[in-house]
Amino acid sequence: MIYRTCDGMQRRDFLKAGAFGAGLGLSSYLRMASAGEVSPKAKAKAGIFVYLGGGPSHMDSFDLKPEAPSEFRGEFKPIETNVPGIQISEHLPKLAACQDKYAILRGVTHSVAAHQLGTEYVNTGSRPLASLEYPGYGSVFTKEREGSLPSDLPPFVAIPNSPQRPGFLGVKYSPLNTGATPRPGQPFAVRGVTLSGGLTVTEVEKRRGLLHKLDTAFAGYESDSQLLDGLDRFGQQAYSIITSKKAREAFDVSREAPSFAEPFGDDAFGMSCLLAIRLVEAGVGFVTLSLGGWDTHQDNFTKLRENLLPKLDVGLAALFVGLEQRGLLDSTSVFVTGEFGRTPKINSRSTEGGRDHYPRCMFMLMAGGGVRGGQVVGESDETASGPASEGFSPDDAAATFYRNLGVDFTKEYHTSSGRPITIVRDGTPIEQLTA
Amino acid sequence: MKSTSLFVVLATLFATPAIAGDVMPSVSFRYAGETAETPDFQKHVVPLLGRLGCNGRACHGSFKGQGGFRLSLFGYDFENDHEQITGDDYSRVYVEEPEFSMLLSKPTLDEPHGGGKRLEVDSWQYNVLHRWLKEGAKGKIDGPLKLTQLQISPSELIFNGEGEQVPLQAVAVWSDGTSEDVTALCRFQSNNPTVAEVDADGRITSGQPGDTHVVVFYDGGVVPVPVIRPVSEKVGPKYPAVATRTKIDELVVGKLKKLGIVPSEVCTDAEFLRRVSLDLAGTLPTAGEVTAFLNDSSPDKRARKVEELLETPAYAAWWTTRLCDWSGNNPDFANIEIGRDQVATDWYDWIEKRVTDNTPYDELVAGIVLSQSREEGESFQDFCRNMCGIYGDAGDAEFADRSSMPHYWARSNFRKAEDRAIGFAYTFLGIRIQCAQCHKHPFDQWTQDDFKNFEAFFTRVNYGVPRSSKDEYDAMVEELGDGKKGNQLRNQLGKMLRDGKPVPLREVFVLEPRNNDRNRKQKDDKKGYRSEPAVAGRVLGGATIDLNEYADPREPLVEWLRSPENPYFARAFVNRVWSSYFNVGIVNPPDDMSLANPPSNEPLLDYLSEGFIASGYDMKWLHREITASDAYQRAWQSNETNRRDESNFSRAVHRRLPAEVAYDAVAFATASESRIKEMLDDPSQRAIGVPGSGTRYRPRVGKTDASFALTVFGRSVRESNCDCDRSSEASLLQTVYLQNDGDVLKAVEAGKGTWIGDVRSSLGENESAKPAGKDDAGNSVQRTQQIRKRIAEIAGKAAELRRNGKGKEAKKLVAEVAELRRELAESERASRRKDRKEDPEESIDEAKRPADVSTNPAELVELAYLRTLSRLPSDGEIQDALAYVSSAESKHEGLRDLLWALLNTKEFVVNH
Repeated sequence: MIYRTCDGMQRRDFLKAGAFGAGLGLSSYLRMASAGEVSPKAKAKAGIFVYLGGGPSHMDSFDLKPEAPSEFRGEFKPIETNVPGIQISEHLPKLAACQDKYAILRGVTHSVAAHQLGTEYVNTGSRPLASLEYPGYGSVFTKEREGSLPSDLPPFVAIPNSPQRPGFLGVKYSPLNTGATPRPGQPFAVRGVTLSGGLTVTEVEKRRGLLHKLDTAFAGYESDSQLLDGLDRFGQQAYSIITSKKAREAFDVSREAPSFAEPFGDDAFGMSCLLAIRLVEAGVGFVTLSLGGWDTHQDNFTKLRENLLPKLDVGLAALFVGLEQRGLLDSTSVFVTGEFGRTPKINSRSTEGGRDHYPRCMFMLMAGGGVRGGQVVGESDETASGPASEGFSPDDAAATFYRNLGVDFTKEYHTSSGRPITIVRDGTPIEQLTA
Repeated sequence: MKSTSLFVVLATLFATPAIAGDVMPSVSFRYAGETAETPDFQKHVVPLLGRLGCNGRACHGSFKGQGGFRLSLFGYDFENDHEQITGDDYSRVYVEEPEFSMLLSKPTLDEPHGGGKRLEVDSWQYNVLHRWLKEGAKGKIDGPLKLTQLQISPSELIFNGEGEQVPLQAVAVWSDGTSEDVTALCRFQSNNPTVAEVDADGRITSGQPGDTHVVVFYDGGVVPVPVIRPVSEKVGPKYPAVATRTKIDELVVGKLKKLGIVPSEVCTDAEFLRRVSLDLAGTLPTAGEVTAFLNDSSPDKRARKVEELLETPAYAAWWTTRLCDWSGNNPDFANIEIGRDQVATDWYDWIEKRVTDNTPYDELVAGIVLSQSREEGESFQDFCRNMCGIYGDAGDAEFADRSSMPHYWARSNFRKAEDRAIGFAYTFLGIRIQCAQCHKHPFDQWTQDDFKNFEAFFTRVNYGVPRSSKDEYDAMVEELGDGKKGNQLRNQLGKMLRDGKPVPLREVFVLEPRNNDRNRKQKDDKKGYRSEPAVAGRVLGGATIDLNEYADPREPLVEWLRSPENPYFARAFVNRVWSSYFNVGIVNPPDDMSLANPPSNEPLLDYLSEGFIASGYDMKWLHREITASDAYQRAWQSNETNRRDESNFSRAVHRRLPAEVAYDAVAFATASESRIKEMLDDPSQRAIGVPGSGTRYRPRVGKTDASFALTVFGRSVRESNCDCDRSSEASLLQTVYLQNDGDVLKAVEAGKGTWIGDVRSSLGENESAKPAGKDDAGNSVQRTQQIRKRIAEIAGKAAELRRNGKGKEAKKLVAEVAELRRELAESERASRRKDRKEDPEESIDEAKRPADVSTNPAELVELAYLRTLSRLPSDGEIQDALAYVSSAESKHEGLRDLLWALLNTKEFVVNH
């Protein structure tokens, strides 16, 4: 079927679209080629996206301002990291000790101060529109890598779920939600993947044999219908995932060597980080994980000190170090972000004060996939109220992330209502990160 | 096999038609050499720039322009384009020495041009631009000329082989009576290049057999030219006799005849029953129903089945779900005192009542479009009191009994006039007018001016507090609001309302007409929600209407919808319903009715739309008419001529079950007889009875959160004004779900309310010896312990918080504990049941056990087939299944695996 696009181009079946043949004229191809976006030398084979839901306070974590007036700077002190000249919060000692593995982006800025819209923004790289749902990073990545990811593993896994949705790309690119997070040393059951109810592989194979015998009603007519063909293909893949030892073992964090698992602690976030490494190691294309609770309007410092920062510190440091130990850091592009930063000025809603939504200034972290660790890119002004100079947008970060992932972010898709959509329309890769 | 080799090539082409004598020849001749003629900006210059690609999206048609030069995309903004080309600020033209104008020097590469070479010096194209510049580069003085007709010849093409070529010729007829050959200035496009390709000059080359349209664009004109290449030699007199029982069949076969496509046979009774139950009522037929239908020998049983289904609550539930899709029942956008979920429920119930009563479609739509929160004559106080009667715990009034459904207008993504225009056009007209918001619609006649004038109808509907009741409202807020604001106020008021206290509510109302002499700018105000009331508007393709003459500017809009001449309203609905039965619409995609996307069978769409209007917009008439046709009742088994046909309705096309229907089908196939009966009687226990949809909304089916399954199967998210918000593609996660999701595995086990549970007890197979049973019991014991531990943890935390003076946070935890206690109670009940020596579950089932749960394995196999695939198994299938069952550890486990396998056949998840 031909879909017409709003701009006068047309295309055949939007699932196949996106390739140059369908929608993109020669001139735009040349433009992209000259801009250096075609066939980038990306190192990453997989992506991990860590979502810090609620919007973490930049000033109390990765962008401290010890010289700022007291109503801004907060009570946390900066500490040195293992990279001279870079300081982060005293409550992130483990991350300080592995600063060389990741880069900090400071002075990232946008203007969407609501949780949901901000979340959509940082999970897609495009400012949300009412009329259109943009696909999340994981959906785009798995679409772009379709066919080259192992067939006995789900291509895109969300632990336990993800704000990244396939949007106009369609249900095919949804993540598999694990629905839960693993517990230390315990087998981990994942919806649809793990065999449950005492089922064994032998029993599944037996059932499958019966199914094979009975599923013959349309035999000989499969080529009449793309749907029948698709059902057969996916049926086969589902079966190989369910019976795959690789998939089962990848999800089962209890199989991890205790010495490797130990640094991840026993918190759900740390366990998610461990699971992410196992999945990527097995060949899963994209994994999202999350640590929420950053919406610290009240009691900002207690919450950060007692709970949030220690969890983040343990999990994320173990993730970076673990990826490196396994030799995966180069081939895995990691992106850590919340939906916005928090007000530099401390509010007085609670006795000890809190910080409110603040998209004008925030931090992000990136590692792996060619990112040079141990550097700070960008800068905020002296009260961390905005970027010191131009700053970066979430779109820029998205362009960088995609480029590290080897995805041509200037590529165009077409929505089924025919609108041409560039993967990242307004972003420019941040060169310094990979330099 | 290359089917073309079969055909005798008959060159019956309508080549080079005669054009009337007073048609001006093409510019390509007139400007080939020296001429004294002056080209016209609208007629020649702008279309030529289009042909040269200047105003394309990648070039100067881009919204940012290119090199500072910005033309309107698809060129219909003559004023802007003329200004951009000739404006003093730009120095793009030198009338004295045209060849030094950028308009010529750039595309000829005399000066560097990012867009490359577009023009040869001294070509006719060059000469047109040169002459125009030389004669003063004049634009339009009195606004655009009106193109009255774009005549294309030949008007239809039938090819008989591959690679045949025919040139198209286009003649523009203008309102001043002049006409001109404009072929060289048109844009051409094929809707399916594998059937027919068209080059830039309008030459069509035939390709594979099939049918499509080549579309010609010039000025505001968009003309589709049908192109057919028959699929077989069975055309005309060679076409076999095909009975056409109904008018629909006559029209469908009429088209098939031209294509040489012979339709498939009519399907079997079992296939018909399954298909029509799923399509019409979103419901899998029960085993008993299938048997009864197969045993019924009366000739009108199919028609009677349709009547029977039309009376089921499931029919109303399923089509209400579809109407909720199209109208956008998404509570994510409903931040209203009564709560988001309540909005979704109201919306659904209001429509469902009308579908159940078979209220005429136009009346149903009028109730939405003309809605206001207050009934006629209802005072503000009465309104608040009456809402209390609906939402208060003690109240017994129903929202569905109100005369209109104002939630449609209260959505936060539906406050701007432009968003309303787009959403309204999508929902009720099936057209995509959004393109014309920013530029001339590339595939239709709509211009930005049309869009603005259409927007006007939506500028006086408001959601908030009308001035006339502002004082009363404020006073009540003052009294009841505890000084709260925003969401906190809304939550508090909502709670009071449920407790039975009348509270001040915001409402959908219509603003007074704008006073003409107050010269306010017609621009969105700063809040971005409301638009200034417009004084005049124009329905699409209609005349200007003075909106100040109407108390409610939506009235003329509804009048227009309901006028029999309306080209969209009835067609959009008829076409959408048709597409639900046939996988594709007569216009497809069904929400893209535009000139460039013509119906595959125009007489068919005309017949159904006219019939629908004549029936008094009777939705049941439409369902009857469609399901009674052989076209709907065709078998899916294809023949040589219709294997590739998916758009001319010559066979049944395999369609994946829609998300809700698939979810319910699994439930029906696996449930005990008594549970099935409950679901049949009460669709609110089913996925087709879930009111809302949205990314934040949690669809609950019974107690189960069905979000994951419904998302994976592509339930409509109802947020982007597109029928594609619902997906019917296959995906990996769908098969993973059906093969191995805990919910499905549980449904095929011998448990409470499952068929296998009934089977197990009727077979007398004791569960206690089975590891699965033990496992379940073990799990529930473990689960109980886990919950207890968690409760203790949270309760401890809550106590600590309270000690620290954080009562509010403690309260939240207490609520969590309450929820856990409920879970605990359930879990404990479950483990108690397992612990008892005499399984009460079994004895209950024994008592409830329907008489027809057999103990004969062959009959049970048959039942499993009837439940899932709605047909009897073949002898071979019975043998395979029986062999499997007898080799299983117990019979019910063998049947469980059989049930699992049947759920995972393509035949199950596909409507065929």
